[in-house]
Amino acid sequence: MKKSLLLLFLCQFLAVSAVAVDGNEMLQKVDRNLNPESYEMYRKLINIEPDGSKKEFIMYSVKKGKDKIASVFLSPASEKGRGTLRVGENMWLYIPNVGKPIRITSLQSITGGVFNNSDIMRVDYSAEYNCEKAEPSDNEYILYLKAKTKSVAYDRVKMWVDYNKLLPFKIECFASSGMLIKTLYFNKIKDFGGGIVRPAVIETDSPLYKGYRSVIIFAKVEKKDLPDEVFTLNYMSKIESLR
Amino acid sequence: MFFKRYLQTDYISRRKSFHFRIWLLLLFLSISFSGYLRAEDKTSETLDLDFEIPEVEKKPYEFLAELEILETVKGLDNDSLLFLQKYPGGRDEETFFQTDLNLKVEGSYQAQTLKLYARLNGSFWYNDEEDWENDLQTEEAYLSIQPSPSVAFDVGKKVLKWGKGYAWNPAAFFSRPKDLDDPDATLEGYFSASGDLIKSMDGPLKTMALTPVILPVSSHINDEWGAEKEIVWGGKIYFFTWDTDLDVMFLFGEEVKDRLGFDFSKNISSNFEIHGEAAVVFDHVKYITDKDGNLYEEKNNVLNLLAGMRYQTSRNATIIFEYYRNGQGYNSDEIKDYFDLVEAGYQDYTSSGNMAKLAISREYGSQFYNKQTVMRDYLYLKVTQKEPFDILYFTPAATCIFNINDKSASLTPQITYAPITNLELDLKATFSFGKEHTEYGEKMNDYKIVAAARYYF
Repeated sequence: MKKSLLLLFLCQFLAVSAVAVDGNEMLQKVDRNLNPESYEMYRKLINIEPDGSKKEFIMYSVKKGKDKIASVFLSPASEKGRGTLRVGENMWLYIPNVGKPIRITSLQSITGGVFNNSDIMRVDYSAEYNCEKAEPSDNEYILYLKAKTKSVAYDRVKMWVDYNKLLPFKIECFASSGMLIKTLYFNKIKDFGGGIVRPAVIETDSPLYKGYRSVIIFAKVEKKDLPDEVFTLNYMSKIESLR
Repeated sequence: MFFKRYLQTDYISRRKSFHFRIWLLLLFLSISFSGYLRAEDKTSETLDLDFEIPEVEKKPYEFLAELEILETVKGLDNDSLLFLQKYPGGRDEETFFQTDLNLKVEGSYQAQTLKLYARLNGSFWYNDEEDWENDLQTEEAYLSIQPSPSVAFDVGKKVLKWGKGYAWNPAAFFSRPKDLDDPDATLEGYFSASGDLIKSMDGPLKTMALTPVILPVSSHINDEWGAEKEIVWGGKIYFFTWDTDLDVMFLFGEEVKDRLGFDFSKNISSNFEIHGEAAVVFDHVKYITDKDGNLYEEKNNVLNLLAGMRYQTSRNATIIFEYYRNGQGYNSDEIKDYFDLVEAGYQDYTSSGNMAKLAISREYGSQFYNKQTVMRDYLYLKVTQKEPFDILYFTPAATCIFNINDKSASLTPQITYAPITNLELDLKATFSFGKEHTEYGEKMNDYKIVAAARYYF
């Protein structure tokens, strides 16, 4: 009887561990399907007010590895030349007028609106989160993610993943108090060429910004070899020269 | 043409000037208010997203411009010593108006590894004491060569801003001091040659970068540094390790005094950043007046320090707090002697019409004393509340600068609103508080209100 119980316990333990490993593996695959290891992209970020009026920002970004991303604003004129850099949980903003990079935090927003800095400078989810549980459903998996450190913007994330495409279609972001901060919706899957097939639109809304929405539209996502020196403070004023 | 007619002469022009300013203020308020009404009244529209991004096509040249209209009202403190120093005979009006028109234009041209960049700042202003005046300044104009992402060279007039502080940067050896009223404003650069050598690595030390600088000084170039011909050289070494930015900087000259500096910054959590700077100026010469107007030199090695933090609350307010130790500043006794000199000069003038002492105090004031951060220890606090009451792009803020040595202070509430792309409206008021013979207590203005509209294109 004791042996049977021990066997049952071991089986359950191994089964739980296997699901946890699968969840993290799935998360890494989701990351790779969203972005290649090293690439460049153009993004349009749109803040939409309750009355429907919009404010648009165009960004050029380069990303390398799991946790390095650098961007520069191409428009509007009031933001032109502003650069951002993220290495892990370190974030900097370069404002041409100010003339030097300043440290910023992930919960601030350089553009205003619902997206904060960690959304705009998104690195791989697997770099920031561990999958605690992967819950299967019809054609989807729900991944329950927990932040690896306290410096990550959202303490917990709930990710709905299309099981066939291994791409997310909805993400809920929670504070450590359990409060829902925002929901991200991934829409319009597009073939960008070079084997990159991913959602071209990310929409977000937030109970903290009732009636407001923000959207990111992706364009020209291409693989690009980038030296590590691009992701340094000294290079922030020169990001646009990579175009 | 309108402005020329508007400025013809005294009474009529001043009446018109007053009406013009009212018109500007109404324009400012109407744009702000209409933006707010528009945001409130429109009904929801269906999302109509434009997927085109024409900026994907890169042009070799680029131009940007910023047009700024400023209206300033100062409430003068008729009893303050700096008012009496400037207007010993008094002034008819208790308020001072100024209108500014600024146009900043920047352009660049890039061909492979070469880039040319220039930024010009044209200013026109009119106030109660001057007709329209103008000034054109080349803030930056340089050639940049970048053979690879890890190597770059810049030659020309360029701003080199170092340090991690928001309000003060004691370790910014090669740049002009910031304007405390607007720390984010662009500055004018110096003529220099500088480079960037960057090396990224695996391991705890992730990045190391060297920025060498050579700055020529003569009576024709960079003459703010001195009239004697010399080459000032210096540099900065940057380290990124253990999620911390560290810089060591140095400057060596002959007439220009040697300096060594250090700074750091680090994110403690997702909403909390700390930073600091330290700089030593060797053989720094300070000029001190006694209450009779005799000027003395004091030579010392001085230490300047800054410690600060940036914190974001759960309600989306950002708090910037800094302490600054200005080792080059005056202590309470020294500043008291200066104010005593101004007071004695004013009494001489009123009793006998003798301007000698007042003239000396004006000269010392313009060279040494009537400047920002003139004393030793300061606190800076800025609280910015992002988009309160769900009003997007609306940012109220309040800034307090506190002089620890004489317990005087300034307080600046401010609202910024950017209702339309590329348009920014800014309204701020600065109030000075302090007893007699204190830095802010003796400021010429009791208050200063500035309304600004900026358009970027």
